[in-house]
Amino acid sequence: MRRIAKMVVMVAALVSAGLSVAKAEEPSVREIVDHSNYVSLYQGDDSKGKLQFIITDRQGRTRKRVLNILRKDTGVDGGDQKYFTCFVAPSDVRNMTFMVYKHADIGHDDDRWLYMPGLDLVKRIAASDKRTSFVGSDFLYEDISGRSPEEDDHELVETTDTFHVIKNTPKKGGVEFDYYLASIDKKTGIAMKLEYYKKNDVLYRDIVVKEVQNVPAGDKMYPTVTRSAARDYEKGSSTEMIFSGIVYDTGIRDNVFTERYLRKPSRDVLR
Amino acid sequence: MIVEKLKNAVIDWAINRSRIVVALMVMVVIVAGAFLSKVVMDTDPENMLMKTEPARVFHNETKKAFELSEIVVLGVVNEKDPQGVFTVETLGRIHELTEFAKTLKWRNPDDPSGMEGVIEADMVAPSLMDHMSQAGPGTISFEWLMPEPPKTREEALSVRDKALSNPLLVGQMVSEEAKALCIYLPLTDKLLSYKVYTALQEKIAGLEGDEEWHITGLPVAEGAIGVEMFTQMGLGSVLSMAVIFALLFFFFRTVHMIVLPILIATVSIIVTMGAMIAAGYPVHILSSMLPIFLMSVSMVDTVHILSEFFDVYDRRRDRKENIRKVMSTLFTPMLYTSLTTAAGFCSLVFAPIPPAQVFGLFLSIGVLVSWLVTILFVPAYIMLIPDKRLESFGLQVREVEKRSLLTRVLRRMGFISWKHSKFVLVLFAGLVLLGVWGIGQIRVNDNYAKRFVESHPIHEADVALNRHFGGTYMANLILEGDVSPEAIAERKHAMEERMMARLNDLGVRFGIGQRVTGEIAQEIRSIAASSDSEHGMLASIIDAFDRRFQEPLLDEESDFLQALIDSAYRLEEELSVFKRPDVLQYVAKLQNYLESGDLIGKSSSVADVVKKVNQELTGGEPENFVIPESLQGVAECYMQYQQGHRPHDLWHMVTPDFQRTNVTLQFRTGDSRGTKACVEAVERFFAENEPPVPLQYNWAGLHYINLVLEERIVEGFLQSFASSFIIVFLIMSFLFRSPLWGAVCMVPLSITLLMIYGMTGLIGKDYDLPVAVLSSLSLGMAVDFAIHFLSRSQSLYDEKKSWRSILPELFGEPARAISRNVLVIAVGFLPLVVAPLVPYQTTGVMLFGILTISGIVTLLLLPAMLRLFENTFFKKEEGK
Repeated sequence: MRRIAKMVVMVAALVSAGLSVAKAEEPSVREIVDHSNYVSLYQGDDSKGKLQFIITDRQGRTRKRVLNILRKDTGVDGGDQKYFTCFVAPSDVRNMTFMVYKHADIGHDDDRWLYMPGLDLVKRIAASDKRTSFVGSDFLYEDISGRSPEEDDHELVETTDTFHVIKNTPKKGGVEFDYYLASIDKKTGIAMKLEYYKKNDVLYRDIVVKEVQNVPAGDKMYPTVTRSAARDYEKGSSTEMIFSGIVYDTGIRDNVFTERYLRKPSRDVLR
Repeated sequence: MIVEKLKNAVIDWAINRSRIVVALMVMVVIVAGAFLSKVVMDTDPENMLMKTEPARVFHNETKKAFELSEIVVLGVVNEKDPQGVFTVETLGRIHELTEFAKTLKWRNPDDPSGMEGVIEADMVAPSLMDHMSQAGPGTISFEWLMPEPPKTREEALSVRDKALSNPLLVGQMVSEEAKALCIYLPLTDKLLSYKVYTALQEKIAGLEGDEEWHITGLPVAEGAIGVEMFTQMGLGSVLSMAVIFALLFFFFRTVHMIVLPILIATVSIIVTMGAMIAAGYPVHILSSMLPIFLMSVSMVDTVHILSEFFDVYDRRRDRKENIRKVMSTLFTPMLYTSLTTAAGFCSLVFAPIPPAQVFGLFLSIGVLVSWLVTILFVPAYIMLIPDKRLESFGLQVREVEKRSLLTRVLRRMGFISWKHSKFVLVLFAGLVLLGVWGIGQIRVNDNYAKRFVESHPIHEADVALNRHFGGTYMANLILEGDVSPEAIAERKHAMEERMMARLNDLGVRFGIGQRVTGEIAQEIRSIAASSDSEHGMLASIIDAFDRRFQEPLLDEESDFLQALIDSAYRLEEELSVFKRPDVLQYVAKLQNYLESGDLIGKSSSVADVVKKVNQELTGGEPENFVIPESLQGVAECYMQYQQGHRPHDLWHMVTPDFQRTNVTLQFRTGDSRGTKACVEAVERFFAENEPPVPLQYNWAGLHYINLVLEERIVEGFLQSFASSFIIVFLIMSFLFRSPLWGAVCMVPLSITLLMIYGMTGLIGKDYDLPVAVLSSLSLGMAVDFAIHFLSRSQSLYDEKKSWRSILPELFGEPARAISRNVLVIAVGFLPLVVAPLVPYQTTGVMLFGILTISGIVTLLLLPAMLRLFENTFFKKEEGK
C-alpha cells in the first residue's frame, strides 16, 4: 500500500515537473504544492549536513548556532521521516541532541526527544505546537521539519514568468498567521519566498531563499537551498540559515535514530 | 534722579499718546498671539532631566541594550466570582481585549515603513504566554498557556492552574489568589500611552460583565498628567478669571476699571507664551503653570494701581493729574516689586532642570512685560474711558468704603500692631519655631498616582492593582561583569596566554608538526594584537580556526583543530558571567534579600527563568526549582527557554553576550522614598555580600528616574531659592539704601515660607515637584507686599516724623491695597481646588496660604516691629 502511494506521489511529482518544462499545460495547485514539499524535504532517501544560524537582532548584535542534521525517510515521499540534530555551537550546549519521528498524517503528532548533556537528561517532548522558535532563531520548528500541505487550503493567486504564487490558508485556527504566500520557482519547485500575513494583510514575517545549489547524489542532482533568511518584522530580528556539507543518500543506519545515540551521537553525526 | 526722569517721561508719554499706546499693545498681542497656534507640547517628565544627566543616559542605554519599553498595564479584578477572573466569561473578555490591544498600532509619521503603538511581540497576556509543564513521566510539554478562550469551567480553571504554576507570572500577570489578572502592553514610545489609554477605555466601556477594569502604569499616569494638565490649565485659568472679576467688581464697582487687571494679565500671558513658543520652546508640564503664575503676579500690580486710583480719584481734578499722582506714588514700588519678582524667578535658570530654566526665564520676562504693560497701558486706558463711565468710580463709593468691613478690620489691625506689638512679636516668634519644627518633619516624596485625586480612574487603578499584584511600578537593577578597560585588557591577556598554552598541549597530544602549530601561534598573537576586547579576540580566533577546519584535513589534524576550537569556546564560556551558576545564585540571593523586606512586591531575573526551566526539565517537583550545578546545565535551560514562542523574552533580561543582566523590580507604590529605600538596600547587600566575580550595578527604569528627578528638583529649587533670596535682599537693600530695611523687607517672605513648608511637614503632605515650584512664587508675592508697605511707611514718616501719627494713614489706603490684593488673588485661585489633579489643588491652596500669611505678616508684624524699633529704623531718616 505504502509503496503504491509512494509511486503515485513520485509519478505525480515527475509528471508535474515534466509539465512545467513542457509548459503545455499548467499543473494543478495541489501538484505544485506537493512537488514543492517534495523538493524541500524529501529529495533522496536520506541527507546530512551542517546548519548554521546567524541571528541578528534589531540592534545588529549577532549570535551563532551551529548544528549537524541528519534526515532519513521512512515512508513514501511526502510521508514519514526521522530527523536527528546535534549542537556544535555554542559550545556550552554542544552535544545537546534532538530527535524527531515525523508523521505526515496530520492526525498523528510527531514524536520528539531531547537530550541535554549538562543536565544529563533525556526528555520526551509532548505533542504540542510546532510553531515555536527553532534554537532561538527566527526560523520555527515547522520551517525546518515542514508544514504538511494537508494543513492548508491552497490557491494559486498569481503566475509570473518564474513563479507560481500560492496563497495558503490554514484549515484550522491555532496558528499566529492568517495566511501565507509562497512564491514557488516554476523550474525547481523550491519556494523562494514565503510571506506570512496576519489579520488585515499585515506582513509580519518572511523567509527568502538566497542561494540554491545543485547537490549531486549518484547520477542525480538535487537543487538544495543552501542559504536563506527569515525575518520577523515585529521583533525586528532576522536569521540567516546556511546549509553546508550536504550529502544525499549515504545510507544512514536506522539505529542512529535511537535514544542510545541521543546520549552519545555517532562520530558521523558530530563531524 | 534717573528713575524720577524716566518715570515722568514714561507717564507723560502714556497719557498724551494714549491712542498710540493702545494701538501698539493691540499689535504686539496680535503678533504674539499668532505664535500660540504653533505650540508644541512636551508632556514627558523625563525631559525634566538634562539630556546629559548620567541616570538618564544610563536609563536610555539600558532600554536599548535590553530592548525594554514603557508599559501600559491593563488589569481586571473579579472579587465576586469564587473563580476570580478565571471564568469562561472573563477570560473571553480578556482575550477580546488582548486581540483589540494588538490592533493599537499606527503608521509611524516619522518613519512610514514602521509602526508605532503596542508592541505585539512583547505583550504579556494569557493567550500570548508559553506554558512549560510535565506531561507524564519523562515527558515535557511546551504549549500556549491559553491557546484559545476556554469554553467550559474546567478549561478556565486549567488556565488558572497553568498560570499559577509559573512563578514568573504570579504577581505579574496573575495575582496569587487568582482574583486579578494583568495584561502588559509595551509601547514603542511612552508618549503614545494616552492614546492607548483612551482607546482601551472606550473598548472597555462597551464590555459587559461585572468585573472591574483598570488601566495603569507609569507612562499612563505621566501621559495623563500631561494631557489633563493642559486642559486643566485652560479651565482653571478661566474659572479663576471669573472669580477674580467678581471680587474686583465687589471692590471697585466699575466694569470699565476692573477689566484692566484682566486685560493686563491676558496681554502679559499672550505675549510671554507667544515669545516662548516663538523662541522654539515646547510647552512643558511646568510651563503650563506659567499663565496661572503670571496672572497672579501681574494682577498684584494692577490691583495696587486700581486700589490707589480708587482711593485718590477725585472727579473735580483733571484726570491727567489724577493719573500722574497715582502713577508717581506707585512707580518706584512697582518697579522694584517687578524687579525682585523677576529676579526670584530668574534664579530658576540656574537649577539643573531644563524645563525649570525655561519656566523661570519666561516667567521673569513675563513679569517685566506685565510691568511695562501696566505703566503704559493703565494711564493710556484710563485716559480713553469716557467721563460718564467713571461716575460711580471713586468718590461716592469711597464714602461707603470708609465704613466698610475691610476698613474696620484694617484699623483694628493697625491698632493691635501698636497696642500689642510685643505680643505680636512673640506670637510670630512662636509661629516661626513651629514652622522650623514642621520643616524638620518634611518628607521628600513624589508619587505620580497621587497627582490624581482619589476618585480619578488612574488613582483607583493604582490602588486596586497594587493590592493584588507585585506592583505596577518598575525599576531595573542592571548587573554587569567588570567592564572597565583595565579589567578587559587583563582578561584578554590571560585568555591569550591560556590559548597559547592549550595550543602547545594539544599540538603535542595529537602529534602536530611545529610548522602548523607555529603558524597558528602567530595567528593567535596577531588576532590578539588587533582586537580591542576579549570577546572580539575569541570570536576572531574561533572564526580563524573554523576556516582552517573547512580545508581538507587529515583525521588527527581535524581532531586537533576540533579540540582547539573547543578550548576557545570554553574560554568564551567563562566570559558569559550570567551563565555561571554561582553568579545566578548570587542574583537569586539578592532578589530574596529585597523581597523578604517590605521594599518591593516582586522581582524577576534570569535566575527565575533558569530555575523554572530546570524544574520542568528535571521532573517538575518543587525541589527542582533550583539553578543547575553546571554552566552547561544553565546554558541548556536558556536554550530550551528560547525554543518557545517567545525566544526574544530572554534578551529583556540578559544581553546576548551574557555579560549584563536586568533584574526587574516591581514596586507596589509610586512613592519615590520606597525606591530610595530599595536603592539603599541594594547598596547594603553588595557591601555585605561579595559577589563570586566582580560585579557592578546601576539603576534604570522610569520609576528610578523619578527618584533622580525628585532629588534634582529638591536640590535645584533649594539652590535657586537660596540664590534668589540673596539677590532679592541685595535689591531691597539698594532700594531702601539700607541693609537693615532690606532685611525687614525679607521678613514677610521668610515667615511665609517657614509657615507654608512647616505646615506641609506638619500635615504630612509630601514635598514634591508642585510644592517645590511654588516656593519661588511665594518669594515674588510676599516681597511685593513688604515693598509697598515699607516704601509707603518711609515716605509718610518723612512727612510726619512719628510712627504713631502715620499709622492711621498707613492703615488706610496702602493697607487696603494690600488686603484687596490678598483677597482677590487668594480667593481668586481657590477654584483650582476643585480640579481633579492634585498639583492644581496644591497650587490653589498654597497660593491662598502664601497670600494670606504674607498679607497678615506685612500688616501685623512689620508695623509692630517698626513701632518697637522706631528709633533704629528711622534714625537715619531724621538725621538727613
